[in-house]
Amino acid sequence: MSGLFIAVLFIAVSENHTMSFVDSDDDCYACHEDKDLTAEVNGKKVSMFIDKNKADASAHAGVECRDCHQNYNPDEVPHTKTKTNVNCQSCHDELKGIQESVHGKVECASCHKPHEIKTVKQMKEAGSQECLDCHKTKGVRQFVNSIHDKNNVNCDDCHKGGHGVVKINKANEQALCGKCHSKNKMALANSVHNTTLGQGNTKGPSCTDCHGAHGILTSKISIESEGCLKCHLNEKMFPGEEKGSAKFVSQYKTSVHASITKNDIEAAGCVDCHGDHMVQDAENPQAATIRARQMETCGKCHSDVVSKFKLSKHGQELANGNKDAPTCSDCHGEHDIKTTFSNDEFSKINLVDKCLSCHKDGKITHKTYLGEEELITGYKESKHYKALQEGNLDAPTCSNCHGAHEMKNASEVDSKISKRNIEKTCGESGCHTEELKEYVGSVHEVAITRDGNKDSPTCNDCHGNHVISEKDIDDKLEKSKAVIKLCSNCHASLEIAERNDLPTNVADSYKESFHGLATRGGMQEAANCESCHGSHNIRPSTDSMSMIFKDNLPQTCGNCHPGATQAFFTSKIHIEDASIDSPIVYMITVFYMALIIGIIGFMVLHNILDYRRKIQLKKADGS
Amino acid sequence: MEAEEKYLRMNKSERIQHFLLLSSFIVLVITGFALKFPEAWWVKIISAVVGEYAFEARGIVHRIASVVMIAASVYHLYYIAFTPRGRKLVIDFFPSKRDITEFKNSMMYLIGRIPERPLYGRFSYIEKMEYWAVVWGTVIMGATGFILWFKDFFFKIVGNTGMDIATAIHYYEAILASLAILVWHFYFVFLNPDVRPMSKAWYSGYLTKEEMEKEHPRELAEITEAEVTEEKQKDV
Repeated sequence: MSGLFIAVLFIAVSENHTMSFVDSDDDCYACHEDKDLTAEVNGKKVSMFIDKNKADASAHAGVECRDCHQNYNPDEVPHTKTKTNVNCQSCHDELKGIQESVHGKVECASCHKPHEIKTVKQMKEAGSQECLDCHKTKGVRQFVNSIHDKNNVNCDDCHKGGHGVVKINKANEQALCGKCHSKNKMALANSVHNTTLGQGNTKGPSCTDCHGAHGILTSKISIESEGCLKCHLNEKMFPGEEKGSAKFVSQYKTSVHASITKNDIEAAGCVDCHGDHMVQDAENPQAATIRARQMETCGKCHSDVVSKFKLSKHGQELANGNKDAPTCSDCHGEHDIKTTFSNDEFSKINLVDKCLSCHKDGKITHKTYLGEEELITGYKESKHYKALQEGNLDAPTCSNCHGAHEMKNASEVDSKISKRNIEKTCGESGCHTEELKEYVGSVHEVAITRDGNKDSPTCNDCHGNHVISEKDIDDKLEKSKAVIKLCSNCHASLEIAERNDLPTNVADSYKESFHGLATRGGMQEAANCESCHGSHNIRPSTDSMSMIFKDNLPQTCGNCHPGATQAFFTSKIHIEDASIDSPIVYMITVFYMALIIGIIGFMVLHNILDYRRKIQLKKADGS
Repeated sequence: MEAEEKYLRMNKSERIQHFLLLSSFIVLVITGFALKFPEAWWVKIISAVVGEYAFEARGIVHRIASVVMIAASVYHLYYIAFTPRGRKLVIDFFPSKRDITEFKNSMMYLIGRIPERPLYGRFSYIEKMEYWAVVWGTVIMGATGFILWFKDFFFKIVGNTGMDIATAIHYYEAILASLAILVWHFYFVFLNPDVRPMSKAWYSGYLTKEEMEKEHPRELAEITEAEVTEEKQKDV
């Protein structure tokens, strides 16, 4: 300790009149070329060997030993009494101010090596290894795996090389990183993260908070959400249950985006939706997650469905700025994104409420099979909805018929529920296979598929659109009346009958038949339209598969009339014009009409005359 | 004062026959037209009273009434064939030339051309027409009704055309019969100024002398003559 003090004192005294004990480097190398030369420094044995070849090849080639090592006395071993500490600044003016730098107390030789001084160029070539020799902490060591290291971005590129080494902190990292990542810097500048920082929230993240300081990896943040969730799952930082809260964000963990993984990477991470550097508050119009921009954001991955959605009315309304128009998250959720591939309550039952929240009473109405206005909310009365509620998740919800994203209504030709397509939608769903089999080839089906007939009924014309009627009405009479009313809708309509060249009198003639009278009179089990003609399989009487084909009548009638095995039909059932279709009945009618009018007319006349005469007689008697 | 003289119009058997006929007829009319006019107000009232199976009950009651009427008719056939009073009854009901004359005179009287009514016997042309109309109607309604009742059997024989014909005849004949009873029979029994509010003969069985004088003067004369002859023979 005292020795050091003396040495410092000596330097101070003899600064301007340096003495030289050495004439040439040879004097030094005489000893120091010996590889075994050692000395004890601070109690440790240290090699005093100097490789002349390396020294001569170094940046200091031509600089003699004494230029740096002044006042060394070769005769005094070790040279401790008179030596002056090496002062690089005596030659290197650029070192002025180094004391203020981070490396101010680091000896020059720590980096530059004592005798094998490297040129700036050589230092560059050596890269970051020089720094890592000293900076051995785990965090810094990760640099060797970083994308920066791979791309020859070295310590000095960030920390400033040479002698002005700086520490990097929140205040300056954006500027520093931005030198190379200018686009990201600009994006970050507008982000909610930067706004928070600007408002003095020191927890607001800057570059290294997400990317790390040294072990920066390419795209790591974009494929793993951990970086974001580190903060966003912290309930102290994001309290409450509102949007933006940690609880709200934590729903992400249950989402299909998080649960479907490939190589341990989530299907979609935070940045895939929220963006990376320019991440915005969800309410910010620039945010990638706002309603209007979801088509674009989600469409990055889900381009097929989004392209369909864009063409839908929902998509168009959304694009036109209709705030009520639904967007992706309205149906699929926000952080708890759910898939509709699975038959679960979310996608089936909740969707109904979602749709009906807009499509409710009085807003959009449909014509039903009964010719009455039908509300879309009627779906909740339907058998389909009841089945869903009872746990049959095969039952259809809104999207099954309208399409999840294309959301088409029946009037659109390529809709799943257009006149031509609905039979397949219902029949090929796996539920109504039998009904479809019966319906195909029926007079109604053929009219639609072959002739494009718009009047001919398909599934929904009879069963209703949303209020899919309960087929198994317990009350047979009520069901019967409903069927008659249903068929009469078209078959009692003169307009429809004429347009389609149908008989006009079938409904009226049924009503006057015993079957019709019985139903009108309240008989529980009288034949209605369906009893003879079938329901899905209605075919003309000329068709051998028809229930009313001549050979099939015994069976058809026999369903109710077990005796009627040899049905004997000699004239039309639905008499159109009695004088042609059933001349005998017509003649009987005419005969009786004449008889009734004649006889009863005579009787009435007879009564009037008789009454008058008897009153006359009474008056005569009385007077 | 001398007790009013009574003249037997319908004996007990005839009154029972008449009662069976009128009750079954009314039931048949109601239950029949209830089928044809299911939306009529009176049908709705009956249906509401009877309840859920009103229609089915209607059919059953109609058949029961038809059996009653046919049974009464069969008994009537026995009555007119095998009882003296019955044979006399049907003989008196047979139309004769006198009926044509009486009808002509009746018409002349009714329109005021002649001052006096024809002197009717036991049955006027009106009553004869009603009787034979009932006979005719019962046969027609019975036959067609029978076909309709056993439809499954008859359908094989007469086909749907035959069933349609039976239905049409049954319907129009019902209208004719009901109107005939309503218009003529009810007039003579209820509204007729001579008997109103009602002729009691159908349950008392007797007519008064006054009624006999007005409606059946010739019969009255025959009865009186017979009595006189009897008394004379007694005297002798």
